[in-house]
Amino acid sequence: MLIFISEDYGDLGLSPEDMQQRMGKWFAWNDQMTKDGVTKGGHALTAEVRRVTGPDRTLTDTNSTELKELVGGYYVVSAEDLEGATKIAEGYPDYDLGGTVEIREIMVFEQ
Amino acid sequence: MENQIIDHLFRHQYGKMVSILTNIFGLPHLETIEDAVQDIFIKAMIKWRNQIPENPEAWLTAAAKNRVIDLLRKIKSENNRVERLEQHSESQAIEELFLEDEIEDSQLRMIFTACHPILDSKDRIAFALKSIAGFSIKEIASALLLKEDTIKKRLQRARKTIKNENISFTIPAGSKLQSRLDSVFEVIYLIFNEGFHSNNQKYLIRSDLCGEAMRLNQMILKKESLRNGAGYALFALLCFQSSRLESKQDAKGQIIDLKNQDRSRWYKPLIELGREAMHKSLSYSDYCAYHVEGAIAIEHLDTSTFDKTNWNKILALLKILIKKTPSPLTNLNIAFVLIQLKNFEEAKHILDSINPNILEQRKYLFYGTKAEYFQNTGDLPRAIECLLEAISSVTNEAEKNYLQKKKNDLLNH
Repeated sequence: MLIFISEDYGDLGLSPEDMQQRMGKWFAWNDQMTKDGVTKGGHALTAEVRRVTGPDRTLTDTNSTELKELVGGYYVVSAEDLEGATKIAEGYPDYDLGGTVEIREIMVFEQ
Repeated sequence: MENQIIDHLFRHQYGKMVSILTNIFGLPHLETIEDAVQDIFIKAMIKWRNQIPENPEAWLTAAAKNRVIDLLRKIKSENNRVERLEQHSESQAIEELFLEDEIEDSQLRMIFTACHPILDSKDRIAFALKSIAGFSIKEIASALLLKEDTIKKRLQRARKTIKNENISFTIPAGSKLQSRLDSVFEVIYLIFNEGFHSNNQKYLIRSDLCGEAMRLNQMILKKESLRNGAGYALFALLCFQSSRLESKQDAKGQIIDLKNQDRSRWYKPLIELGREAMHKSLSYSDYCAYHVEGAIAIEHLDTSTFDKTNWNKILALLKILIKKTPSPLTNLNIAFVLIQLKNFEEAKHILDSINPNILEQRKYLFYGTKAEYFQNTGDLPRAIECLLEAISSVTNEAEKNYLQKKKNDLLNH
């Protein structure tokens, strides 16, 4: 699983032109992954963050402006191993915005 | 790549949507509207990653329509009346407000608002680039070679003035229309010149500004009641100048002056488009500075080499121009032409009459022309002296390199 962590787009002051170009880059990346047959799904997440913590189930609502980093979405991809997934993650378009990709292997159980 | 969407679609759609929503809700809500439109594009950017819709424009328009209801609720909850929507049933009214004619009309209203004479002329440009052309603060700053903070302040001041002065979102009528049109053309002309003369290292930003200016001009010309000689003449001038845009800079971003430009790279289709516009401009009774500037531009474009330039004709045109709009830059051009004509006495007379300080950041052009004068009269030491003066007053890197090269050439003479 590729987990995308970055500042929320809404807080970056991107211009319409920036957004169109960024969209194009994501489209190209996604298109390539689809052609390579590695995509297994994924979602983009909104910037409202609600956390439930502790035995009292305490609710905290946070919005993106208070967080410099949040999970903006994820893709599930198929790869031989962590190295293979890392190669795929190189195509992530938002490194220049300070974004990070966290690569996590989905646990497989035998029996 | 399949499913490519057209260049600048987001930028142009942004301007359309902000205009149409402002037409519905009014200028006081401009900031709320801009935020809402920004949000539509963020959604589009994320949604279209996987699949770009068949008709991207229609998708965006539909999204803007949906926002009308949200905005209506939001603005109403702040106890504001939204009259245009209360007259009809909501959905019917929304459909009507999004018809192509209405969108174009809204954009024109936005242009006339941005060019309202009550706004500071510097603020007009920033506001127009933001609200009509969809530039971000960063892009405006980069295009105008100014700090982001400066742009932010100008935009804030423009919004405040619009609010405080209660400027209406309309296209002026009757006698007011002519003077406001002049202001619109002036803004278009300035935006273009920023792109054309800024010598920003980034070619793209420059050509974007020029492109936006031309697009605004076209919007005006599309509407019959707004057509006049000045509008067509300005458009002709912009076409003529744009045709040279690419040949003004080499691959490394270094400046190539008129004398050394590869004239075969001048873009013919634009020159033809300009000729057509110039022709149309002559069917109106008004005759303005843009006509004269266009005539000067086409004189250069029609000449095969720099040496064959008909300087006498250009001098005559410049003299008409300076009578129409006196400007130290035009005076400087006259001096330059006189030097080409070897009429050194008159050139010196004009140069002596110009106070370089009123040229502000273009002061270096004065010293550059003066250097040209000394070089042509054989006084190399003073030519170099002037070039040094020019170098010390220029801020732009590309201009500086150009002057430095000129100075070195003289030193190695």
